Amino acid sequence: AEVELRLSHWVPATHPIQTLGIEPWVKSIEEASQGRIHITIFPAQQLGAAPDHYDMARDGIVDLSYTNPGYQAGRFPLYSLVEIPFHMNNAERGAVAMHEWYAPIAKTEMSDVIFCLANPHDPGTIHSKGPIHVPADIKGLNVRPAHATMARFISSLGGAPVQVPAPEAREAIAKGAADAITFPWNSINIFGIDSETKYHLDMPFYISAQLMLMNKDSYAALSEENRKVIDDHCTPEWSGRFSKGWAENEASGKQKMIDAGGHTIYEPTSDEVQLWRDASAPLIDTWKEEAKAKGVDADKMYQDYLEALGRHDAKF
Amino acid sequence: MTSADLIAVSGFIVLFALMLLRVPIGVAMGLVGVGGFAAITGWKPALNLLAQSPVRTITDFNLSLIPFFILMGVLATNSGMSRELFRTGQAWFGSFKGGMALSTVGACAGFAAICGSSVATAATMTKIALPEMKRVGYRDDIATGVIAAGGTLGILIPPSVVLAVYAFITEQDVGKLFIAGIVPGLLAILMYMLTVRIAYARSLPAGEPFDLGNAIRSLGGVWAVLLLFIAIIGSIYFGVVTATEAAAVGSLLTALIGIARGRLGPRLILESLVEALRTSVAIYTILIGAILFGYFLAITQTPQKITAFLVHLDLGAYGTLAIILGFFLLMGCILDAMAMIILLVPIVFPVVTQLGFDPIWFGVIIVMTVELGLITPPVGMNVFVINTIAREVKLPTIFRGVMPFVAVDVLRLILLVVFPSLVLFLPMTMK
Amino acid sequence: MTKPKIGLLERISLGIETVAGVLLALITVLIVVSAIGRYLLAWPVPDAFDLSRFLIGAAIMWGFASVGFRGSHIKVDIFAEMLPAGARRWIDSFAWAVLLAFSLLLTWKMLGRVTSAFYSGEATFDLRMPAWIFLGFIWLGVAFANIAILARLILVASGRATLEHFETVDMAGDDATEDRA
Ligand code: NA
Ligand code: NA
Repeated sequence: AEVELRLSHWVPATHPIQTLGIEPWVKSIEEASQGRIHITIFPAQQLGAAPDHYDMARDGIVDLSYTNPGYQAGRFPLYSLVEIPFHMNNAERGAVAMHEWYAPIAKTEMSDVIFCLANPHDPGTIHSKGPIHVPADIKGLNVRPAHATMARFISSLGGAPVQVPAPEAREAIAKGAADAITFPWNSINIFGIDSETKYHLDMPFYISAQLMLMNKDSYAALSEENRKVIDDHCTPEWSGRFSKGWAENEASGKQKMIDAGGHTIYEPTSDEVQLWRDASAPLIDTWKEEAKAKGVDADKMYQDYLEALGRHDAKF
Repeated sequence: MTSADLIAVSGFIVLFALMLLRVPIGVAMGLVGVGGFAAITGWKPALNLLAQSPVRTITDFNLSLIPFFILMGVLATNSGMSRELFRTGQAWFGSFKGGMALSTVGACAGFAAICGSSVATAATMTKIALPEMKRVGYRDDIATGVIAAGGTLGILIPPSVVLAVYAFITEQDVGKLFIAGIVPGLLAILMYMLTVRIAYARSLPAGEPFDLGNAIRSLGGVWAVLLLFIAIIGSIYFGVVTATEAAAVGSLLTALIGIARGRLGPRLILESLVEALRTSVAIYTILIGAILFGYFLAITQTPQKITAFLVHLDLGAYGTLAIILGFFLLMGCILDAMAMIILLVPIVFPVVTQLGFDPIWFGVIIVMTVELGLITPPVGMNVFVINTIAREVKLPTIFRGVMPFVAVDVLRLILLVVFPSLVLFLPMTMK
Repeated sequence: MTKPKIGLLERISLGIETVAGVLLALITVLIVVSAIGRYLLAWPVPDAFDLSRFLIGAAIMWGFASVGFRGSHIKVDIFAEMLPAGARRWIDSFAWAVLLAFSLLLTWKMLGRVTSAFYSGEATFDLRMPAWIFLGFIWLGVAFANIAILARLILVASGRATLEHFETVDMAGDDATEDRA
């Protein structure tokens, strides 16, 4: 092919992220470019560790990098708004909203790469060994948080975040190092944690998002017609399409637990939901302070996010 | 051959040239990795690998059990635990013909249970057991052969630094791998003891009279080792703590026992820390280089091509396995055990899993294969270590003495290939 | 260089090793305390994970300086040892020059990692301590390593030292207490 691109991510090649997200996207690019662009996928951290994926795109180690900005706490403070719980309730439509909201912000916050796609996972929730219904139930518990924002939330509720690598999450729960974990639904089954956590809070608690990023030089080196192909695949619509398959796979996890039996899936009352949202309010204040420190109009930026979510029917 | 293949082949050639010129193995791998990556992507991205990857390797939490298990062995040696093990072995086995050789095997096994390294086990036992065996009239070849072979138990009987690195590379459960090493380790002890008695039946000195009181008293000295082993392996087996935590707790307990018995002071503790760190750094350097080299292999897609090639040869699962193990034995002629695992396992592991072999079982098999490399000529690390400490015993003498043990090692390897459940039944009972 | 200078190098090297050794002790205690906190007291030490991994990294990099000076990296010794002393000196000098080149490249590129962390505000997970401080501390180790490796290279090239290959093992096998006590 005229252009050879390397795409790196950190999950196994068989993961729904690759089979239902990355592969169809790559195929569409190759077809739209009539074979001029060829993309080789390097899964499973073959070209670099998961937390290094942003730098790998920046430094040209790869051309395209599937990155979780949340792996590096504190580095992308504006982006971290999406990690605050109780905002997004649907990944496919939420991806479109997040893309529209973040694309202009990325021009400054991620100025040394090209922002291409947003890929939030299906809203995850809190899975625990004992029942958790309201924020006060977190007090005194050890919780494995999804990201640094969630760790802050757990701490503010009187719980203790326990950071362990994802593959050790099951071990941590089984061995009593953690009493609860925040995870998307099917990941609980995939990682075999379903045998440990029998209680689940049935609400779209939080998301963690991944981004597809591109190296600037690789982008600049493209011919005009090839650049158009890439541009056409870095759109809010594609963010939605990219996110759909994996989200459905994760969402199916809840039904699997119901079918398997032995699980208590608790749907909180609207009063209880309000307790959770109130408890998370300080996170928004902290975010606004950090955003202001970056010199942006934090209130407007926050409103923009809510509007984008509302526009695409993805608002909690 | 594509140009990527050509670059990959040239990379291997330069790598071996640099290694033969005594460039540290990790550094050779790292430089060739970066250089090869540059040949494909250009220099700027390739050099940037050095910005992220080495820091990521040394700050990887999962690898931190390596310095801890090494530290535990050093602390145990420095607080005299290895000598006590030998004395206890002597008190119980000393009355048999060739009893002191049997005691040495037992002491090696006991030390292996708290030390993660084979060369350290061999070095320690050379200092303790060799003078004693010479004193009572053992032939040099028998005495050093037993120690060289016994030393290999260090990386098979848990804890094992080599198994830990294998777990890291192949993303397997390190706890399961440790537990999987127990039965093959016990089998090795038994077979080594039989070898002493059968292969050297005519040349062994007589034993010393058995003294029950002395034998029982000798146990007082080894309770500490026993306690440590049970605490560490037990807590890993029952899943009380993670392997890293067990390693840290083990180091701290070893230090505390040493202090409580008046064997370890601040100076000796600091020396032990520095010593453990130096050994760990040597291993981490290889890991840093191997991971850089791995990126080079990945970008040229070498492992996939080798897998495809080997599977295409259609030698059947066991035929291919035999080729892989033979290749490891061959590389064992020039490479260190750890370097072999780090450099070669990523290349052959996809083949092995594709052929349907169990990854935990393969870990134990491959460790036993590199163990063989430790005692076979021309380069056998354990043999060299003994030779460095006991300068008066020549290398050919040690290699001659160790030959019967090489033979039973091969036998044991075949046994475990034919009956994989000997390796797997114990880890399968874990939660 | 004269003998007293080798003594000075020894002392500097010992100083670096002491820092690294103390770090290793600290991490051991930190992980044990964190484990006790997690399992027995339901009170995990905040940032125990990030702290211990950063400190391990620092201990290893400071140790990298030590090993660069001692010459006890794992290498293939068999061919070098078959050669006469003169040729071996050339080979050993070459080997350590290559190590120095690697270390210099590492120092240069890792500095970029540190400054990147400084400007990006990267922080630890729980307490949000700036990551660049830890990365900078790790970087100091590799910076020292250049000096240590150069020192050994000069000693080797001028024929006043060799690359010892079992130094590490020797000490590991030193069943010291009973002999000293
Ligand atoms: Na061991
Ligand atoms: Na060998």
